[in-house]
Amino acid sequence: MWKIREGSAQHWLLRSIGIAIIALVVVWVPTQMSSSRIGQFSDAFILMIAAMSLNLVLGFTGQISIGHSAFFGIGGYTAAILIKDHGWSPGYTFYAAAVVAFVVGCLVALPALRIRGIYLALVTLAVAVLFPTLVKWKKLAWLTEGAKGIDSVRYEEVPVWPILGELKGREGRAVFMFWLALIVVAVTYLVCRGIVKSRFGRALVAIRDNETAAAVMGVNLTTTKVLVFGVSAALCSLAGVLSTLKTGVVTPEGQYVTLLGSIVFLLVMVVGGAGTLWGPIVGGLVYVWLDSTTRDIGTESGGVLGAIFGWADQSPATLILGVALVLIMFLAPYGLVGLFRKLWRKVVVVLPKPAGSGSSSPS
Amino acid sequence: MERFFQYVFDGLSFGAIYALLALGLVVVFRGTGHLNFAQGEMAMICTFVVWQFHDWGVPLVLAVVLGMVVGFALGAGVEATVIRGVAKKSQAGVFVVSIALFLGLNSLAAMVWGNLPPEQLPSLFPDEPDDFQRIFGAVWRYEYIGVLVVALVLMGLLFLLFAKTKFGLAMRAVASNPESAKLAGIPTSLVLASSWGIASAMGALSGSLWGGIVGELGAGLMFTVFIYASAAATLGGFDSPGGAVIAGLSIGVGEQLLAGYFPGWIGQEMKLSVALLTIFVVLLFKPSGLFGSAKVERV
Amino acid sequence: MSLLKVRGLTAGYGAVEVLHGIDLDVEDGEIVVILGANGAGKTTTMRAVSGMIARTGTVELSGVDIARTGAEKLVRLGIAHVPQGRGTFAELSVIDNLRTGAYSRTARAEVDADIDRWFGVFPRLAERRDQRAGSLSGGEQQMLAIARALMSRPRLLLCDEPSLGLAPLITQEVFDVLRRLNSDDGLSVLLVEQNANLALRVASRVYLLETGTVVASGTAAEISSDDSIRKAYLGA
Repeated sequence: MWKIREGSAQHWLLRSIGIAIIALVVVWVPTQMSSSRIGQFSDAFILMIAAMSLNLVLGFTGQISIGHSAFFGIGGYTAAILIKDHGWSPGYTFYAAAVVAFVVGCLVALPALRIRGIYLALVTLAVAVLFPTLVKWKKLAWLTEGAKGIDSVRYEEVPVWPILGELKGREGRAVFMFWLALIVVAVTYLVCRGIVKSRFGRALVAIRDNETAAAVMGVNLTTTKVLVFGVSAALCSLAGVLSTLKTGVVTPEGQYVTLLGSIVFLLVMVVGGAGTLWGPIVGGLVYVWLDSTTRDIGTESGGVLGAIFGWADQSPATLILGVALVLIMFLAPYGLVGLFRKLWRKVVVVLPKPAGSGSSSPS
Repeated sequence: MERFFQYVFDGLSFGAIYALLALGLVVVFRGTGHLNFAQGEMAMICTFVVWQFHDWGVPLVLAVVLGMVVGFALGAGVEATVIRGVAKKSQAGVFVVSIALFLGLNSLAAMVWGNLPPEQLPSLFPDEPDDFQRIFGAVWRYEYIGVLVVALVLMGLLFLLFAKTKFGLAMRAVASNPESAKLAGIPTSLVLASSWGIASAMGALSGSLWGGIVGELGAGLMFTVFIYASAAATLGGFDSPGGAVIAGLSIGVGEQLLAGYFPGWIGQEMKLSVALLTIFVVLLFKPSGLFGSAKVERV
Repeated sequence: MSLLKVRGLTAGYGAVEVLHGIDLDVEDGEIVVILGANGAGKTTTMRAVSGMIARTGTVELSGVDIARTGAEKLVRLGIAHVPQGRGTFAELSVIDNLRTGAYSRTARAEVDADIDRWFGVFPRLAERRDQRAGSLSGGEQQMLAIARALMSRPRLLLCDEPSLGLAPLITQEVFDVLRRLNSDDGLSVLLVEQNANLALRVASRVYLLETGTVVASGTAAEISSDDSIRKAYLGA
């Protein structure tokens, strides 16, 4: 086992290696891979953002929510409506969506102040099912275009960014979306990290572990819960905006707008590692990979999965994920990131700086 | 006026189906303290099993009974293995597992029966266009009457089980205090598994009745019924079986009345929102439901 | 041979070992008391004997090894445990509470006869037979818990801190009932108590438990006359 001290030169070396690997991947993908592959990464990024937002509320604060698909949908619809009907430029729609979602998120948090556990799950379930229902409502069709959804959401061609060089058409858009989504992922990650490592973040964890004790210790339950729901909703809406920008379409039965979306976010978060910062990121990659690998099972039989599931009428992706989820609950409650950390600790241990020797950040 | 009775009759029959599933939710909650998010999907899979038996030539009534037996085994099996294992570790984990079940069963149904032409489940009751009874001027189809009667009979049997039998006593005891139940010599594991088993069997019946009315079976068969059932259990109180029945019937009648009298605002498409708003309102103002006593609020 | 023979009983919760090898005996017709301060492991001992927690060591009931038998089965073998804090079924009626105690019995008529008998011994319970058990007073719930345990016709009654939370007069009543059952019906009792004075008056023999080990044992007379023990536990 290799012991290194936090903040030492070796620690920075390790961190630099990690960053370098990530940077390498990030540059490799958009330049070397096909546009459909690049698109898959963008899909993964969108999922990561949604999962990270859910992680704030569920992983760190312990409030069950299966309603985040509504916030995703709010983001997607806000962007579509503003761009198509009001000619907004896409950049500003992020802000608009975040504001709307923040307000709605705060409202949804109100029931959370008085109820916990399965009852909160029910309320968020209702929110998740209510959103597509409302969108399809005849009375709101003037805004949402009802069941058929909003399409042809076009914005100006790929803006000229020096880093992209000469890119046009489908290729160009794919690369553009990749970088845009990546930027939003990075922003979301930094926001989450900032929250988690702050006093606010410690209040969240206190609420998760023992609400009564947290309240007694001076945590303002109302403000904290409402705020974290609001922020979480705002972040989730960013993912929705990205989705609309990527596909140009948003519909009430669309990808993550229904209850199923909330469930996928939950899945991604848990598989990656609830309550960890990198969990949703890893989870998003795993989910997209699994989805693409099992997509064709029904039609062609490939390898092991084909042998087991060749008889099936449709893709076993969700079944596999369901089983994986159960296994994770039993074997790796902290998800893949948790597993990785356990194994990693057998190889390298980072010793915290001794107390009183300058500022030390809690890991 | 006959419109009113039409809505009431229809509402009672649909409400009975919701109430059956809601009872399942309540039995599981009272017995084991969990919310079975996969209640609807378990019912759906059992309904497919019923269809399969029928497709193989088994008479429909027997197929439904077999489906309920399979449902019992499924529920009990799930509780004894997966649920209990996770419950020891964390409460939130149980919820996640029930979501995993939801996904898994849904996917399984699509995989096994997905590509066949849409399965048709015949109704247990005569359902030709002229099989109805006129009461107060409204049409009450035999099928709907049959559904209501069967559902009420089964709910009645369940209440008898709880109140009058030794096993029902055991279930109530385990629900009240599992530790003391063990000390009294009650086979607690068996009771816990049976709670889920009974709930699942009720779901199987609910699904079969619903499938008979709807006609076509699909993996999404029971989803809306699950929402209605959740609303009913919330409104009635998650630990009140009587409350679930009354609430289920009320929601059934209520949605028909609202959709019927306000077609512009609610109509057929927005019926579900009635149930959803019910959940909101109840949890916002009286979380323990109308008849429940469960401590929902944080101390 | 003893009714209950315990040797080297070790038990705990998770990684924490609470009992470090307990030896004790209960002979037929005895009331044996386990005394000790909070945290000594008294309740753990009871739970280990009645099979509620995992344990290692020897536990024999009339020579039959029950170390690996679960709690539910032990009721059939003749051990009934009245847990700390009563553990009544609050939502069930008084009479239903009694019926649960008889769950493992099959002869309906005999069960009904027993219900009548215990209603006779505990007339206050008879008055409240259809009332919700949770609405009874502490003392009544304690009587109910004991009656429920007796419904299984046990040979050995385990009683965990029956005086907890009860007024002195009520506690006296409870102990009188136990003593009568012991002298009239030959019921053997293993009793755990913090209230040493009261317990010593009904005990045949006493074990003193301190942080998971037996530090002293003897007849009630011996223990009460021991000065050091008197000072530590009886406030001499």
